[in-house]
Amino acid sequence: MKHTLRAILVASGLIAPLYAQSIQSDNQADKVKIELGRKLFYDADLSINGTMSCATCHEQRRAFTDGNKVHPGALDDPGKRNVPALANVGSYKNLTWAHNHLSGLAEQSLMPIRGTDPIEMGMSTHEEEIGKRLSQNECYRKMFTIAFSEEKGSINLSTVSRALESFEKTFISNDSLYDQKIKSNQPLPTKESEAGKKLFFGAAKCNSCHSAPLFSDDDFHQVQPQTQAANPLMKDNGLSDVTGNLKDKNAFRTPSLRNAALTSPYWHDGRAKTLSEAIRKHDLKMNQTLSDRDIAKLIAFIDTLSDISFVNNPKYTKPSKECPY
Amino acid sequence: MKSVVLVLMFLTGLFAKEAVLPTELTAWKSLSFISAAKSANELSDASLSLNHASLIGLHPTPKIQYVARPMNEGGTVSYGGIFQIDIKESGVYRVVLGNASWIDLIKDGKAALSVAHNGGPENSGIRKMVDYALEAGTYTLQLSAGADSTSALLVTKIK
Repeated sequence: MKHTLRAILVASGLIAPLYAQSIQSDNQADKVKIELGRKLFYDADLSINGTMSCATCHEQRRAFTDGNKVHPGALDDPGKRNVPALANVGSYKNLTWAHNHLSGLAEQSLMPIRGTDPIEMGMSTHEEEIGKRLSQNECYRKMFTIAFSEEKGSINLSTVSRALESFEKTFISNDSLYDQKIKSNQPLPTKESEAGKKLFFGAAKCNSCHSAPLFSDDDFHQVQPQTQAANPLMKDNGLSDVTGNLKDKNAFRTPSLRNAALTSPYWHDGRAKTLSEAIRKHDLKMNQTLSDRDIAKLIAFIDTLSDISFVNNPKYTKPSKECPY
Repeated sequence: MKSVVLVLMFLTGLFAKEAVLPTELTAWKSLSFISAAKSANELSDASLSLNHASLIGLHPTPKIQYVARPMNEGGTVSYGGIFQIDIKESGVYRVVLGNASWIDLIKDGKAALSVAHNGGPENSGIRKMVDYALEAGTYTLQLSAGADSTSALLVTKIK
């Protein structure tokens, strides 16, 4: 019933998908799937040598980024792209920096687990090992049995990835200072941030791509012509590497600005150390009119998009070692 | 097995391009072997000395009972271990590692926060260096989520 209501509300535009996600399921199997996904998110046995879990790169305190330009893989292969933040990730149609053909978060989770460009968790051709490792743990066996009863509790890459998807869909960030002030119809607390907000939604037109409420339009743009890659051996043509279409060359998905103050460095390859640097890298005509003062105002506004309750939410922390079942 | 590893490391060092090490890392070149503790009970046999690099023997993660739960826990196929070290004066200390294991420095049940992290100089065999601002006292140094059963470890004061 709740699902139906949510679907109607979203379809009618009465609530944005971002907020719709916060309506939780009552179904026991769905609840266990989320708990299971959380346990798996922090489990390094999803990597070839047990050194890397999802949380190794996606640290909650950094809004699920890691503070590095790029992160090397479990076998020390060089990283390719900056770790993307995961706030509201369940509300996106397009996932990762540059992909428009993924069916959802379950399929996306396979990219770091068994992808080869770049090699991150290194499980390509070792996928069966995941089921073998996790099956040795009694708690996993119980949780998979409840969460995937229709598949007889099978532990394999498919059920693992769907559990991860269930957990990641709970990553809702909608309680920043900006959200609180919008809800109570009040101005932002400082003149600087309020001026930044006017600029953001007005003359600077940031909102044309970084659209509220996600602060991303979930679309791809060529914001800066490709110069030299951070790692010259690592060619990155953005979306065209997926579509094969030259028109998509150097196009990347607009990153959300929610929690952006917590997710430095910036840009698809982490080349911008600060927000100021990232704003200046936008090779757009409108940007030429932005003064240093304007950029300071925009940053003051972006600071209000930090959601402290999201980065401290105990629902997303590493779960206790004790089995809940 | 231990001696084979030592010989291999020696030969690798013989043919490798010489790394240029800064003064605070000169101890990195002379290694003595120490086996990590698997639990707090074994820590007295796993004491590190400041400015002395060690070739360290690590254990399969399922066999280790960490003093505090590591921030980054390794999987069942990873390696880790526990050491202790006396810090006699407060200052900034650097933990230098030959692999990418996660490092936790624990005192009074709390993990010290790192103040900087870097890779090592080229061809040095140093995979990561993490700096901590530490008070005087005895610290438990925990390594977790490591890829190998051996590595090299040095703790040195830099400020």
